[in-house]
Amino acid sequence: MKIIRHHLFKIIPFTVTFLLLGLSGVAQAFQAHGAPEGLYVHQMSHVLFMCGLAYLYWHTRRTAALVSKGWRYLRSYCVLLILWNILAFTGHAIETILVPDDFLNSGSWGSVMLEPLTLPKIVFYIVKMDHLLCVPAAFFLLFSLRTFYLEHKGEE
Amino acid sequence: MHTLPMYPTILIDLVGSGLMILITFLALRYAYFLSTLDSKNFIWGFLFYFCMAMAAFSISRGVGHILKQILVLSGHKETWKVFSPYSGGFNTTLMIYLYAVIIYYHKGLAAYEAIQEEASKLFTANKKLEDATGELQKMNVQLEDMVEERTRELSESEKKFRHFFENSQDMVYFCNSEGSISDINQSGLEMLGYKEWPKDLNILDIFNKESELETYVKALHEKGFVRDFEIEIHNADGDPLQVVITANAVRDDNGKMIGCEGIAKDLTRLKNVMAQLADKQKLASVGQLAAGVAHEINTPLGVILGYSQLMKEDFPEDDDNYESMVVIERQAKACRKIVADLLKFSRQGLSEKTYMQLNEIIQDVVAVTEHGLNIDHIMVTRKYSEGMPFIFCDVEKLRQVFINLINNAHHAMEEGGEIIISTRTCADGQEVEVVVEDTGKGIPDDVRSKIFEPFFTTKAVGKGTGLGLSVSYGIIQDHGGTITVESPVAGKDHPGTAFTIHLPVASEQPSAESFESVLKLH
Repeated sequence: MKIIRHHLFKIIPFTVTFLLLGLSGVAQAFQAHGAPEGLYVHQMSHVLFMCGLAYLYWHTRRTAALVSKGWRYLRSYCVLLILWNILAFTGHAIETILVPDDFLNSGSWGSVMLEPLTLPKIVFYIVKMDHLLCVPAAFFLLFSLRTFYLEHKGEE
Repeated sequence: MHTLPMYPTILIDLVGSGLMILITFLALRYAYFLSTLDSKNFIWGFLFYFCMAMAAFSISRGVGHILKQILVLSGHKETWKVFSPYSGGFNTTLMIYLYAVIIYYHKGLAAYEAIQEEASKLFTANKKLEDATGELQKMNVQLEDMVEERTRELSESEKKFRHFFENSQDMVYFCNSEGSISDINQSGLEMLGYKEWPKDLNILDIFNKESELETYVKALHEKGFVRDFEIEIHNADGDPLQVVITANAVRDDNGKMIGCEGIAKDLTRLKNVMAQLADKQKLASVGQLAAGVAHEINTPLGVILGYSQLMKEDFPEDDDNYESMVVIERQAKACRKIVADLLKFSRQGLSEKTYMQLNEIIQDVVAVTEHGLNIDHIMVTRKYSEGMPFIFCDVEKLRQVFINLINNAHHAMEEGGEIIISTRTCADGQEVEVVVEDTGKGIPDDVRSKIFEPFFTTKAVGKGTGLGLSVSYGIIQDHGGTITVESPVAGKDHPGTAFTIHLPVASEQPSAESFESVLKLH
């Protein structure tokens, strides 16, 4: 509980600041922010997140002490989530070039993608199933934490 | 027209979003457990922090996706357009936040590694310290064992020396630089005549002779020791003791004498025995000489006596020559008596021995002499022991011995006194003892050693021949006994003199009837 309280003290001010400054409708910034900015920022966040994961992968791999099974799971998580970021990044990029006419019955279970099935459409279709990457990645994170916990508990 | 249905993507999106939320929260749960197991571990702290961010991101994204699908599928696409920017904004922020957490890991881990390194060094140092402590404890235990062993050895040594100190028959003493005795054993106290240790006892105070004291002190200070140094000391009663002393000086680190330790052996008894032996030897030599002289003189003396008696008859009694012959005859007889005494002293005379009780002989002698003693106010005290065994002796000679002793006592008490005659059986019934003690003026030290020598006398010329005690000595020797003199008498108020005679008991004791017949004969 002490740790949670400790972390909350960091998260809450960060979140409040974000809500005050980050609301798109009532942005407090002096500079005007157009519509594409949100997408760009989101894409940048994917890149940052991906870089962070790459660093985490690289660092845990080069650190001699971090060789246990748990770290291998964590590195698998990093790899899958990097791939997911690439996929998501690609998806967001392709989304900008697709138009509503490319789809029929949008907003229903019967929604379909119309021909011609161009590469962007196929890629978009694939990236829409990005959970096939991020869910396994989340599993690896779970395995990693569980392994750490069991190992550490065993040591205790 | 070929189409591609979108429902698989919708389905995967809904299920995947739910699973993401579920799985990331499960991961967060393990991260929480980990952090509670070891709250000081930075890695677990980071993972907990990361999982929190990941769970938040999953909620943000998953809820957003599920809400989108629900709103869009339910025909509320416009409503979703309101929420969409918030959902996207949250997602963006949380991804940046995740990045920040990883960067935080980067810096934090470096700090953690530095701390770990220091901790490792500290651990190593602690380990070394622990090893050193263990080694120290081991050494301490060894030291304790050694101390225990040394203490035990010391205790045994102390016990050994204490045993030697306490049970030694000689005096063992320790004293300070002033000679004050700091410790002395029981034998020493007994030798010096103390029942308890007088704390002011000083070794320098018990020396009798100043010259010996000076030699002793000088030797200790200059040589550091004295060896087999024969000295005369005195005991608590002032009685002289002949001792041989060996002592060592005790010095401090600077070589300064701080005391001494020594052993003294009492030689008084040995000295007395040696003196008696020397006397015996001397008397034996004198006896042999006297016997030779007596034999040589006896023959011409007999001729002189015979011729003087013959010549006496050639003159009338009123003639001067007759008187001269009588004088020659009287002096010749006196000489013959002296010669006879000399022969008795040297045990060359004839001896007729029989069984007799000592008390009977003494009673006869006292009966004859007591009257004369009483005239001179000398009282005779008899302390005869009853039932004494027989001795095999020459009764006449023993009578002569006791007459001599009583006469000597008489002469020593011209102004009156007391003669105490005591008898007893001693030496487990193997000897009888008679002590003739007077209350006279005693015998000086320089005279005491000569009294048994022939012709030695302190009487005026013509009043004694100096043969009484020497003859007595010879008679007692002839009976296998001993005669000793003690003067002054120990434990008495007066100086006095005591002659002690020991005679062996007869090997065969006669019956009462045969003893009666013997008495009648005498």
